[in-house]
Amino acid sequence: MENKIVFEKLGFGIRLKSMLKVDFRRMFKSRVFYILIAAALLMPILMTVMMTMMDGTVSVDPQTGKESIMQGPENTWQNIGTLPGGETMGGMDVFAMCNINMMFMAVAVFVCLFISDDFRSGYAKNLFTVRAKKSEYVVSKTLAGIVTGAFMLTAYFAGSVLGGAISGLSFEIGGGFGIVNVIMCLLAKIFLMPVFVSIFTLISVAAKQKAWLALCGSFGGGMLLFMTVGLITPLTSTVINVLLCAAGGALFAFGLGAASNTVLKKTSLV
Amino acid sequence: MNAVEIKNLSKNFGAKQAVCGLDMTVPQGAIYGFIGENGSGKSTTEKMICGLIPTSGGSIKLYGKNYTDPSVRAKLGVLIEAPGCFPGLTVWDNMMLQAANLRIENAEKEVIKLLKTVRMEGAAGNKYKNCSLGMKQRVGIAMALLGNPALLVLDEPLNGLDADGMRIMRRVFRDVIKDGQRSIIVSSHLLGELQKVATHYGIIRHGKMIVEMSAEELDASCRTYVALRAEDMLRTKLLLGSKYSRTEEDEAGYLRVYDITTPEEVATYLYENGICVTELKTDKIGLEEYYIDLMKGGR
Repeated sequence: MENKIVFEKLGFGIRLKSMLKVDFRRMFKSRVFYILIAAALLMPILMTVMMTMMDGTVSVDPQTGKESIMQGPENTWQNIGTLPGGETMGGMDVFAMCNINMMFMAVAVFVCLFISDDFRSGYAKNLFTVRAKKSEYVVSKTLAGIVTGAFMLTAYFAGSVLGGAISGLSFEIGGGFGIVNVIMCLLAKIFLMPVFVSIFTLISVAAKQKAWLALCGSFGGGMLLFMTVGLITPLTSTVINVLLCAAGGALFAFGLGAASNTVLKKTSLV
Repeated sequence: MNAVEIKNLSKNFGAKQAVCGLDMTVPQGAIYGFIGENGSGKSTTEKMICGLIPTSGGSIKLYGKNYTDPSVRAKLGVLIEAPGCFPGLTVWDNMMLQAANLRIENAEKEVIKLLKTVRMEGAAGNKYKNCSLGMKQRVGIAMALLGNPALLVLDEPLNGLDADGMRIMRRVFRDVIKDGQRSIIVSSHLLGELQKVATHYGIIRHGKMIVEMSAEELDASCRTYVALRAEDMLRTKLLLGSKYSRTEEDEAGYLRVYDITTPEEVATYLYENGICVTELKTDKIGLEEYYIDLMKGGR
């Protein structure tokens, strides 16, 4: 044992760095992280392939006897957003409802379990005993959530491309838009992720060890904004969409991050 | 400078007052035995010292700094209720996570050293959830020791430990305080074990500190007694009861006569009354009896 006790003053950057080290180490060791990414990758492949196989299938309503024809995807990018000229919430169009935007809700599973694990395991005691300031915890958890969300969005994007390629779907967007817009759309979605992650973080730090409460609250809270994602980040996104999403993401992250910090300061951590 | 100085600390949970006007002083280099009944406010106080629950009033100073100061909080080691480990991770991974949390350089070396100290080096690869209660407690102690903390706050660290574990803990505690600067607050219901290591005591009741003393002061204030066995214990008891104000039979079957320092006096008295004493010794009551006496309002 050394003889002299040294009480070091550490800046926010150093504290955040060590917190990030802990969280990213945990994140990459977490099973949920890999399950979510695998699901994000496989979901669009399965959906596209199955829907393509069922394209043109005639089904009969047993009660009315009315025939309906199943319509499969026509374009690879239908998994990412509505094609120019299409309706945003197009009736029974499964792709308008179940597309990449689902990842904004799915990331709640990671954030809620990641944070509630800290409290359920008692690790929060170790953490907050040696960390008087809570800000680095909130920032680190939000960043871990954003990175997970970005991975999921990218995996879903990759899955969509693979699914489209396997099913032989068109990669044309039409309306004068091209692959740059698709990339901008993905970037805009990634920059929009902090909005959702900071909501989930706030709910999770308030719910602490109650993962079920955090999940219910997060799905409920996320639903309020979920419908707007398609409008803010269309397939025809430009730099403006990216910048708007980045600004919105930053504002939400700062505002709700401060609220999470206050919740942690004012409430019991065990 | 004291390691911990608490003045008028209070904590309310709704209408219930868990801690009310508590004063507490832990000197540097002390092993502070923090004793109290279940629900007396020990854990709540410890959690407030560690900043895990907000206080309702009063002040806490650690090494002269406010307890919210990040520099002093970074030098705390804690084991409250149970070690904070992720059940799905191995002992090694859990230790390494806490080492990263504490920004420890040469983390691997330090983790190996501490696991060896608590004799857990062979179980480093075990998943934490598969460890026994005693093993978990050892991991918790090792984790609390990471980063060479200035103040260790340990709540019931002896729970679930076997004889070897207890011995290791005593050695660890002595090692920690040997430089005279680091301190330990340890709460335990195993008062006999606590008495073997504690240099200071604080006894809390209904959220208030009722006694704070050093081990020497405790020793001085513990009552002396003469313990004896005789051929006719029933008659002996009656005889001693009529002469001395406080006599009682202990769990081992000895008759105790309190506040007598000369066993010859008792032996002579019994001999004169025709009773043959078969065993005779003088002793002092221990921490456990002192504490029970105190709780009964005997002091």
